[in-house]
Formats: sequence, C-alpha cells, structure tokens
Amino acid sequence: MFNLNTFVQLIADGLAQGSIYAALALAIVIVNQTTGLINFAQGGMAVLAAYLGMTASNLLIPVVGSFAGIIGGILFAVGASFALGAALERFVMRRFMGGDPDTAVVATIGLLTLITGLCGLIWTYNYIPYPFFFPSGASFMVGGIAISVWSLTTFLTILAMMLVLQLLFRGTKLGLGLRAISINSRSAALSGIRVGGLLMVGWGLAAALGAIAGVLVAAKVQLVPDMFDAYLVYALAAVIIGGLDSPFGTVIAAWGIAVMENLAAAYLPFVGHDLKIAVPFVALFLVLILKPEGLFGRKVVVRV
Amino acid sequence: MAALTRLLESSWTRVVIGVAIGVVLVLLPLSSPAFTNQTITRIAVFAVAVLGLNIIMGYAGQVMLGQIFFVGVGAYAAAITVRSDWGAALGFWGVVAAFVLAVLVPGVMGLLVALAAARLRGLAIAMVTIALPIVGVPVAKRLSDITGGSQGISARVFGAPEWTGLDNDQWQYYVVMTIAAVVFALAFFLVRGKYGRAFAIVKENEAVAASMGISPYRYKVLAFTIAAMFGGVAGFLYIAAIQFTSPETLSFGHSIELVIATIVGGAGSIVGSILGGIYYVLVPQLTNAVNPNATAVVQGVIVLVVLFVLPGGLASLPRAIRRLVRRKRGPDVAGPAATERRTPEGITPGAGDALPPRENEERQNR
Repeated sequence: MFNLNTFVQLIADGLAQGSIYAALALAIVIVNQTTGLINFAQGGMAVLAAYLGMTASNLLIPVVGSFAGIIGGILFAVGASFALGAALERFVMRRFMGGDPDTAVVATIGLLTLITGLCGLIWTYNYIPYPFFFPSGASFMVGGIAISVWSLTTFLTILAMMLVLQLLFRGTKLGLGLRAISINSRSAALSGIRVGGLLMVGWGLAAALGAIAGVLVAAKVQLVPDMFDAYLVYALAAVIIGGLDSPFGTVIAAWGIAVMENLAAAYLPFVGHDLKIAVPFVALFLVLILKPEGLFGRKVVVRV
Repeated sequence: MAALTRLLESSWTRVVIGVAIGVVLVLLPLSSPAFTNQTITRIAVFAVAVLGLNIIMGYAGQVMLGQIFFVGVGAYAAAITVRSDWGAALGFWGVVAAFVLAVLVPGVMGLLVALAAARLRGLAIAMVTIALPIVGVPVAKRLSDITGGSQGISARVFGAPEWTGLDNDQWQYYVVMTIAAVVFALAFFLVRGKYGRAFAIVKENEAVAASMGISPYRYKVLAFTIAAMFGGVAGFLYIAAIQFTSPETLSFGHSIELVIATIVGGAGSIVGSILGGIYYVLVPQLTNAVNPNATAVVQGVIVLVVLFVLPGGLASLPRAIRRLVRRKRGPDVAGPAATERRTPEGITPGAGDALPPRENEERQNR
C-alpha cells in the first residue's frame, strides 16, 4: 500500500510544481508591491514568453547546435519578456495608475485575453513541443528512488532565481529604489527616485521571472495558449495564503499547496488527479476565514 | 441642433422611446425568423448575467471574475430539476421549482464565497472568483452522475402551450424576455434605492462608508449574493432558451468574456447591461464568421480601447458625444459644460457612469 518510493517522488514533484507556482506568485507580488495592482495577465505573459523562446530556439538550433540554441532561446524569451513587461507598464498600465484600481485590474484582464488570443492567432491552439535539454519524462535513480530530471532542474532554477532576486532587492541600489516605491511611492518620488522608470523595471523583472516559469512548464507539458490559466489560480492562491506583502510567505505557501495537492491526489480517492485543483481553493477559504491577511502577512492599517 | 439635444434630454421623449422599443420587442417575434428570435432570446439571457455582474462590479465596485460559474450552476440546477422524476411529475410547478432552485443554489454558493472573499480588502474578490470557473469545470465533469459529465445534459424546460398557437422559439422568447424584464426592473429599483446608495459609497470610499454606519463587508457580501442570484436566473433562462448545458458552459474564457461585456456595455449602468448582453452574443458571432482564431484578440483590443477612450462603456457614449459637441462650440455657451470640473484625462468626476479616480489608500499609507 504505502510506498516510500512513490511518497518521495510525490514530494519531489510537488516541490518542483510548487516552484513554478512560486515563480508566478513572486512575479505577481513584485508587481503588487511596486504598483499596488494584481496583474492577471502574468500567466498569459509567461506563455507568450515561452512561445517566443520556442520560436527562437527552433530558429537557432540548426545554426548553432542544440545546446546553444536552447540557451539562446531562453535568453531571448527572458529579454523579450523584460522589454514587453516594461513596455506594457509604460504604455498601457501607466494610464490607469492613480485611478480606480478596479479599472486597472480589468485592464490586466483585457491584456490576458489579448495576449492569449495573440498566441492562439500566431501559433494556433494546438500543442507544440518545446525544444529542451532533456525529454520531459527523463528521470534518474537516487537510492532506488526515481527523481524526475525536470523536477530537479525546475526546483534548482527557481531557487536560484529567488536568490538572485533577493540579492537584487537587498544588495543593489535598484532594489533599494524598488523597495522605497513599494513602501511609499510619493515620498520616494520626493527623494529623487525616478518612480516611472522603476515601475517599468518592476514589471520587467516580474515578466522575466514569469518567462522562466513559462519555459519550464512548456518543457514539461508542451505549449498551448491557455496552459497557464490553472497556474494563475495556484499562484493567486499562494499569494493570498502566504500574504500579499510577504514574498517569503508566498514561496512557502506555493510549495505547501503543490505538495498538498499531490498527496491529496494520490492518497484521497475522491480527490484524484482531476479534482486536485480544488485543494488550493479549499486551503484558500480556510485561510481567508481564519487569518484573512495571509499566514505570513501583516495586517494593513489604513489611516483615513 | 440645440433643439434636438433638448428634445433627447426630456424625460417624455425617453418614455416614448422606451414604449416604442417595448412595442417593437413584443410584435417582432411574430414576424421574424426563428434565428432572430433565438438570438434576441440569447441576448436577454446574457444581459441578465451581465446585469448581475454589474451590481457587484459597476455599482459596488468589486471586480468579480467568476460570474459564469453561477450561470452554470443555475443552468445545472434547473436542468437537473426538470429532468428528475419529481420535477417531471410536478409539471408546471416542477418548472417553478427549477427556477427557485436555479436562483437559490447559486445564491447560497455566492453567499459562502463572498463571506470568505470579502474579508480581505482590495482585490481579494477578484483573486478568489477567478478560481470559480477553473475549479467548477473539473467538478462538473467529475459529478457525472447528476451533471452528465463532459457530455453535458439537455433539458426541455417548456414548449409552447397549444392554446397560444405560437412556435417554440416564439414562446421561449416571450417567457425569457418577461423574466428578464422583471429582473431588470428589480435591479433598476435596487440601485436607485437605499441599497444602491450604500453600494455607491462602498465603491467610493470604504472608510467613509464605515464611518456612516454602512458596513462595507456586509454590503459587499450582499452585492455579491445578488450578483450570484442574477447569475442563477440567467442560468435558468439559459436552459430555457438553449436546452443544453455542459462543463464548457462555465469555462474560464466565457467568464472573462462576461467581464469584458460588462465593461464594454457600461459599468454601473442598467442600459449598459443590455448593451453588454448584445455585445456578448453578437461580437463573437461576427468575429467567428471572419476568423475564429481572432476572437480573443478582438475582445482584448476592444476592452482596452474602451477603457482608454470611453471608461463608462457604450452606455456613456451619448454623454461623451454631448460633451464633445459642447466643447467644440466653445465657452460662449454658458451652461453645464462650463461648470463641469474636468480631470486631466477629460473624465468628468462623479458623472455617474464614468469611473471616478480614487486614492489608492492601501499603497500610500503602507
């Protein structure tokens, strides 16, 4: 019945899956911290990035070989995403800043529809394989337990990304500026910080992070325009459960959700693989009822 | 020109136009082809769904992304009741029971979701409700014993009775339009009364609302529940008109399209909800005819363009045109135009349909 081998695999896959949720959730938190918005198009932008990476890789591989081609494709996806995120902030979202936040949110919904539609229009709604270093089913054995190569790669990549972001936010002047904006953008502007430029950087960083998540997901499940819709739900659940103002809490929540849903799908027969998306939803409700500011969030006190 | 504007602004003209539209809508199905009747019926179905969304989004100012879930639940509730043994045995009262359940079940679900989601300030309602259709589709597939799984279920709620001498499509048209008209009348009085004013102040500033003794939490939950119930009515009408539902009915894409229809029609406007219903049904039909793959792109572009140039949606078009005309005529016309305050973007604050700029307190006081 209970099989340690399966159990460890479930945990490992859960942590990898959770890293994807965490990457998307962190992207959402970065945008939320700098602009106060929830970007519902974050998943759509990640998918677009993966499509761009796929196209670039397929163009490069015949010329420079498969390894360099794949690397080039990923770099292109990340760079293009950064530019796209910054451009969307400047030319679309800036218009709605300072106004009704609900209008801005609807604008991101419009962006999601537009970007998903563009992917469908350009690359069709059929599944397209992503050229990657190893096949999606590859695994290796550690002490008799099979660990998926994809899971390990994903976990380590996202972990490295988080460390880089942490260094950026804590150790550089750019990060200092971003943190200043997130605490009080008006005071930040008064002390000479170029808020507009940094908002673009914030959106760009979030989009770049999303791009990496997009490529990793595409490497496992192949590309389709709506492949991130479900991921968006997981990421938003992680954001709420962890607390909107706590990147650390968000990552922990993302891992927790993913491990939990994997275990529930395997060991609770009435959940099964098809209903595991309900797991974060139930967890979300419990957290909202018991501790609405999130497990790691601070209570927001508003001065009137 | 001035005379024409004055004529259009007088309330009597509006009454006359309203009565004329009503007469046309009553007489139209007798002579028009079945396809036209079915299309207008579908518009009424989705206008009710958009109206519900408008109560929570347009009037109470809370972005809700899962309205199609409540439409779907209402449709399933109605279809399952009509098909069940006891529902069939009750005959006409079975249909009434289907209607009541189609409103109550989504209403209770909406209440439960709102009780949790409204606890977190800001955009939590949007973040939670986006999950509803994404969770709802696999659940509907899983409960295949009662929902028919991926195949969906068909249910014939009512056909035209003998004595009317009407065709089925004409009878459906009249029943759906009547129920939709009643719901619109209810909504009209709701948003103009005590509750409408409470929603408006919750939308404008929650702190002010609380200081006036209006609990933002309670009114958000109320608006959400009403929206869900209207969604349920739309679900019943959906089954009455289309006679079939499947998990595809409550897909994420449709949910987003409903939000877009609400914004394009006009948030916070009853007429806007009708325009939203028209948009929801007709625009995809048009774009599908041209290129089915382009539908999503067109929808995305339209909603962004509307948000950029016409934040009040199509319903605010007459007002926007009037303002343009006044501005063109210049300052020699002393009148409302001269006294209107304008924000840099040219949006008149507090002009009913236009979305007023609001301070983002959460961010500034962190």
